[in-house]
Amino acid sequence: MEQRLRTEAKTLLEQDKVDYIIGFEPGILKFTTTPLITKDKDDIDRLVINSFIANNLANFLTELKGRVGIVAKGCDSRSIVSLIQDNKVAREDVVILGVPCPGIIDLSKVEKLVGKDRDELDDIAREGDKVVITTDGKRNEFSITEALFDNCLGCELPTPQEYDILLGEPTSPVAEIAASQTQIARLKEMTPQERWEFWKNEFSRCIRCYACRNVCPACFCQRCFVEETEPQWALPVPKWQDNLLFQVVRNIHVAGRCTDCGECERACPVNIPLRSLTKEMYDIVSDLFQFKAGMDKDAPPLMTHYEQEEAEDLVR
Amino acid sequence: MTKKINKRDIGKLLTQWNQEFAIFVPSKEGDTTKMTSWDGKDVSFLDWYRNTVIPPKASFFPPLEEMFHFQKNKGSYDLELPASDGQKKLIFGIRPCDAKALAILDMIFKDAYEDPYYLSKRENTVLVGLGCTNPYDSCFCTSLGSNPSDSANVDIMLTDIGDQFLMEAITDKGKSLIANTSGLDDATEADEARAKEAQETSYRKVTKRVDTKDIEERLLSCFEDQDYWEKVTAKCISCGICTFLCPTCYCFDINDELVKRQGVRFRSWDSCALPIYTKMPMENPREEKWQRVRQKVCHKYEFYPMNFDVIACTGCGRCIRQCPVNWDITQILASLPVKV
Ligand code: SF4
Ligand code: SF4
Ligand code: SF4
Ligand code: SF4
Repeated sequence: MEQRLRTEAKTLLEQDKVDYIIGFEPGILKFTTTPLITKDKDDIDRLVINSFIANNLANFLTELKGRVGIVAKGCDSRSIVSLIQDNKVAREDVVILGVPCPGIIDLSKVEKLVGKDRDELDDIAREGDKVVITTDGKRNEFSITEALFDNCLGCELPTPQEYDILLGEPTSPVAEIAASQTQIARLKEMTPQERWEFWKNEFSRCIRCYACRNVCPACFCQRCFVEETEPQWALPVPKWQDNLLFQVVRNIHVAGRCTDCGECERACPVNIPLRSLTKEMYDIVSDLFQFKAGMDKDAPPLMTHYEQEEAEDLVR
Repeated sequence: MTKKINKRDIGKLLTQWNQEFAIFVPSKEGDTTKMTSWDGKDVSFLDWYRNTVIPPKASFFPPLEEMFHFQKNKGSYDLELPASDGQKKLIFGIRPCDAKALAILDMIFKDAYEDPYYLSKRENTVLVGLGCTNPYDSCFCTSLGSNPSDSANVDIMLTDIGDQFLMEAITDKGKSLIANTSGLDDATEADEARAKEAQETSYRKVTKRVDTKDIEERLLSCFEDQDYWEKVTAKCISCGICTFLCPTCYCFDINDELVKRQGVRFRSWDSCALPIYTKMPMENPREEKWQRVRQKVCHKYEFYPMNFDVIACTGCGRCIRQCPVNWDITQILASLPVKV
């Protein structure tokens, strides 16, 4: 897959079909990758596809000017489609290099499985439906479902549906729906009071770094409501009440755009389980409107589209 | 005056110090690690602690701090300062890089304007350092004039020598505290030899490097190289992680909350990486992302040294470990397109 990607990416640049390629290259730290955004075909041989390509690269599309060849896993491809639906990206300006994705490994889960930090491990290898973690020369096998990101366990579209070049054979979903919802199920069992206490506690840690918003392809506003001063919707300081308010409103803004890529939760430096909010919203949107973000580029976007009759009913 | 203490007696030692000080130790809240008030028993951090995600600067310069509260009257305001806790604090287990970072912060908070919020907490605190035995692969303190056993910026330094810690008093504060502490044994020559060996082993475990030779001149020479900066910053998402979690970053924002004539003035962490930085008093002079990231690098490696003669980076590696796109400052420093 990797070789094919490099060949295709190089050709795209050489034939001047795109101005940029966005993909992944190995990160400096063990078992990490990092986005590679380049115009230079000499960089292309650094492109990789492996079990650690976590970032949702669609996030960079709204920022780059020109035509872009972009590596996209299933969820990333949905974010791209959603941006097309919202008129943020023109379909003809992107060449989607689709990656059928068997799921991405969550390093914090791996660390918990073996009780060691990432940089203390010799190797992490995916072998079919197993993950083999080697520490101190010893192999430890686990089911892959114990090591993938929660959102990967419930992924509905591992193989991009919208693509220009598909880099491998389609994969089927992991479909461990229950496992992907463990944290949410735990929250649902709580009384409202307990849940309030839970979130109060979680949001007391928030430092307002805005990484959750800035990694999110669906958060594309020029100016976020949280930075408005007239009126001031929320205080721009990390008080837990305002942190919670920020997240709740953000959640409403991305309803119908969020593809459950899991980036906000992954980016949060203080480990607030943000996906419990976004995924719940995703399911509510799906139940209420039979709408799933980024599935069909020709479908009108959920939140900014009105039918004539709706308007008459709504605006009196 | 060099002493030693059994690791299993650390709980007793902290209990003893707790009589006089509020004790802060590394703790975990879920997966997030920071220095928090000791609960009086748990010393399990001795097993897992490498360094905290939230830097100890948060104990002196918290993410959110009340500067004063006020009441709005017809034509005037009544102001009241927050009650000072006046409490003596002891931070147990601070790492050499983070202790150095506090020394770096002292310079700015004592410069043209003396910051009473920071300084009062700082003066009231004893730092007990703990040498690192297991540095991260992202640590590069040895390139910045420090090392995993550096005792330069703490009051008391502990070194792991197996079942015990060697305990050295570094400052007068440290000396008098040790003199008033019971239950410590005198260290033998053999203990000191073991400590030296452990320190050398730790030193070798730090493998990441930056070359700081002529770094100010090198950064200056490529300051205007927009193509270079654009290329190396393309993947940054302009969040606040690397600066908020940097132990030497000190920018803050000030905001008022006013509810029914009762108000509070807060200060909170701010970051030059955020597009909205300094939008309130003026415009952000660094509109483009590459300018903001360049600012972060140059501030630490060029401007701070110009003003205070020290690089404002201690090599703690937090900005590398925590960055959501794995941006790495050492890579940038190694790839500067220097023009001579
Ligand atoms: S939270 Fe809302 S206002 Fe802010 S960037 Fe996201 S969508 Fe826009
Ligand atoms: S990423 Fe986490 S800490 Fe940062 S603003 Fe979002 S919720 Fe808060
Ligand atoms: S370098 Fe990383 S942590 Fe820093 S602002 Fe950019 S994305 Fe955020
Ligand atoms: S710049 Fe990075 S490595 Fe240097 S002190 Fe700050 S967080 Fe640590």
